[in-house]
Amino acid sequence: MKMSASKSFGALPVTALAASAVLAAFLAAPAAAQSGPGYEDPNNWPQYHRTGNAWRFSPLKQINRDNVKKLKVAWIHQPGNITHGLQATPIEIDGVLYYVSANNNVWAINSATGETMWNYAPKLDKIVSQVFYGAASRGVTVGRGKVFLGTLDGRFIAIDQKTGKELWSTQLTDPKNQYGALFSAPPQLAGNVLFGGTTGGDQPISGKIYAVNADTGKPVWTFDVIKNDPKSWPGESGKVGGGSAWMPGTYDAASDTIFIGTSNAAPDYYNYDRKGDNLYTATLLALDPKTGKVKWHRQEVPHDSWDYDSAYEALVVKKDGKDVIVHLNKGGFVFVMDKKDGKLENVWQFAENVNWVKGIDPKTGALIDPVYPEIDKTKTFCPNLLGARSWNHGAYNPDTGLWYSHAMEVCNEVVAGKDDPDNLKAVSALSLGIESIKLVAPQGDKPHGRLDARDPLTGKRKWSIRYDMPPLSSVLTTAGGLVFTGDMEGKVFAYDAENGKQLWTFSAGSGLRGGPISYSVGGKQYIVVPTGLGSHAPGFLSGAFPQIKDLPGGAALIAFTLE
Amino acid sequence: MTDNTHQPSARTWLRNSVLAAVVGVLGLAFTSLSGASAVAAEAEGAHDKAPKPIFDLTDAARIEAGKNRFNKVCAAYCHGIEGAGGRAPDFKGRTDLSVEETYNTIFHGRTTSDVMPAWGEAYSAEQIWELVAYIQYLGTQ
Repeated sequence: MKMSASKSFGALPVTALAASAVLAAFLAAPAAAQSGPGYEDPNNWPQYHRTGNAWRFSPLKQINRDNVKKLKVAWIHQPGNITHGLQATPIEIDGVLYYVSANNNVWAINSATGETMWNYAPKLDKIVSQVFYGAASRGVTVGRGKVFLGTLDGRFIAIDQKTGKELWSTQLTDPKNQYGALFSAPPQLAGNVLFGGTTGGDQPISGKIYAVNADTGKPVWTFDVIKNDPKSWPGESGKVGGGSAWMPGTYDAASDTIFIGTSNAAPDYYNYDRKGDNLYTATLLALDPKTGKVKWHRQEVPHDSWDYDSAYEALVVKKDGKDVIVHLNKGGFVFVMDKKDGKLENVWQFAENVNWVKGIDPKTGALIDPVYPEIDKTKTFCPNLLGARSWNHGAYNPDTGLWYSHAMEVCNEVVAGKDDPDNLKAVSALSLGIESIKLVAPQGDKPHGRLDARDPLTGKRKWSIRYDMPPLSSVLTTAGGLVFTGDMEGKVFAYDAENGKQLWTFSAGSGLRGGPISYSVGGKQYIVVPTGLGSHAPGFLSGAFPQIKDLPGGAALIAFTLE
Repeated sequence: MTDNTHQPSARTWLRNSVLAAVVGVLGLAFTSLSGASAVAAEAEGAHDKAPKPIFDLTDAARIEAGKNRFNKVCAAYCHGIEGAGGRAPDFKGRTDLSVEETYNTIFHGRTTSDVMPAWGEAYSAEQIWELVAYIQYLGTQ
C-alpha cells in the first residue's frame, strides 16, 4: 500500500500535486463545508441516525461550548410504562416529535411543549408474553405521510402521520414457529420500499430481511440471511443458523443501496454442526432496494463462534475523496471498506482486550489464529457476547473529523455444549450452544466502559473517558462543538467535542439506553434525551457489575433548551 | 418422554390460573398498591390452588438437574451464574422466596421494569420443579 502510494505521488506532475495540496487543505477544514451529506434538513431529526450516512450529527449550533452550562429542562414526556425503559431514538420533523415506548406504544408530541398530539398502541398477539425480547421498541420511521412501526408480534404497521390512525398492517413473521422473531428496531425507508430484519440471531431460526411497499404494505421481497449453500451450511445446520438483521439498516440514496448488517451464527458457541463460513451471518450487506439482491457483501467474522454480530451502523465518511463505510463489529474490530464494492481499506482494533484472534489482516480481512470454543473446556473470550460495544450507536462530527463511540471491556468464560432439545421448546429459547457462561474482568483490569473519540479511518484516539460501568446510550454530536451521552445511573453529559472536557451534566434519575437527538423549532434549539434503563443488557452485565442490580428503571423523554 | 404426563395438567392449570390472575388483577385494582407491588402480588397470590412440589426439593439429583438447566438457560440468558447477575435480587442466601412463588414466576413470567418471559408452555412441571429445587438450594448457600 505505502509503496504504491509513494510511487503514484512520484509520478504526478507538479500542478496535480499543488491541486491535491489545495484539496487536502480544503478537506482539513470541514467547518467550511456547511452543506452536503450530513447537513441536509438541519433543523430536523428526520430519520434514525438523522442522515443516511449514520453520523448522528446535528448541524445546529445555538447550543454550543460557551453556553451549554445554561441548559434547562424545557419539558418532560412520560409514556407511563417503564418496562425495558426507553430505547428509541426519537424522530423530529417540523415541530412534531415521534417516538415509541414499551410494547410498541407510539407517541406524536409537540416538540416545543411536549404535549401529546396523538398516541397509537397496536393490539398485540398474546404470544408476546412468551418472547425473549419482550417490550423492546427502538424507534419509528416517518415518511410518505406515515409513521412506520415494526411490532413485537412480527408486523410492519403504517400509521397516518397527522391523525395517528392505522393505515395498514402486514404480518411478516410467524412468531410461534420462529421463536418469537420480532421487529425490535424500526423498519427503514428506501424510496417506496420499507425494509427491516428481526430478532433471532441467537435463536434456532433461519433469519430473514423483509421488504414491503411502504404505501400499501404489500410484501416486495424477502432476503434469506442464511445462504442456500451446503458449503456454507452443511446438512440441516442452516435451518437453525440464526442470522437475523436486528438493527435498522441505512439507505444510501446516492447509490440507491441498502446497507444492513447481520447477526452472529447459531448455535452461538457450539460450531460443530456448521463447519463452513456460515454466510451471510456476521456480514455487512449492500442490497438493491428494488429486488433485495446482494450488490456486494463483506463477511467480517467467517464461521462466527463467539456471538460477534455485524449488526451495527454503517457510518459513511470520506477517505481520499471517496466514500468509505466504517463499521464496528462486536468482536472488537472496525472494518473500513469502499462504499462502492466493500473492498477493504483498513481494519483497526477498537477493543483494548481481544483474545479470540491474534488480529485481523487489514488487507484481506483474514482472521489471524482464531481460538474457537470447545466442549468440556472453559475458555475465556474477550470481548464478551454483548460485544466491544452494545448496539448504542456512535456519532461522527465533520468539524473535528472524530468518531465518538462507547466501548465496554468485559470478557466471558464459556464452556461450549450442544443445546438440550428440551431447552429449545420455548418461544423465548436461545440457542447459545453452551454448558455455561460467566462474565469476567479482563486480565489485569476491572471491567469498565469508555467513550472514545477516534479517527474513524485509522482508529487513532484523540481522547477517551473511562466509566466504572459501560454507558449504553447512543451518542449525539453537534456543530456547537458538543458530544451528548449518558450513563447507566442516569447522568446526562455534554462534553467538548475537541478534548472531551465535561461541560454540563444533569441527573435524570434512571439510565440512558436510547438515542439523544437535537432539532430546532420556533428559533430554539432543543436537545432531547430518552431516559429509563432498559433492554436485557443491564441485567446481563450485572454479572460483572453487581451495582447494576440497584439501578432503578424508568421512562421519561427529557427536552433541554437554553433559558 | 416424561413431559407427556405432565404437560396436559400444566395446560389445564394454566387456563385456571389465567382466570385466577384476571380475578386477582381486578381485585388489586380496588386497592391502592403501587404498580410494582401489584405485579409482585399478582405473581404471588393470583392462584386459587398453590402449586405443590411433585418430589423432594432437597433431592441432590434433582438439584443437580436444575442447576444444569439453570446454567444453560436462566444464568446464560439473564440471571448469571448462581443467580448473581440479572435485575432480580441474588438467589444465593435468599430466604424470602417461597417455592410456590418461584414456580409461578417461572411458569407465568413476570413484568416489572424488566421482563421475564413465561416458560410454562415450554417446560414440564418436573423440569420447573427441578429449577425451583436448585433456586431453593442457592437460598441455603
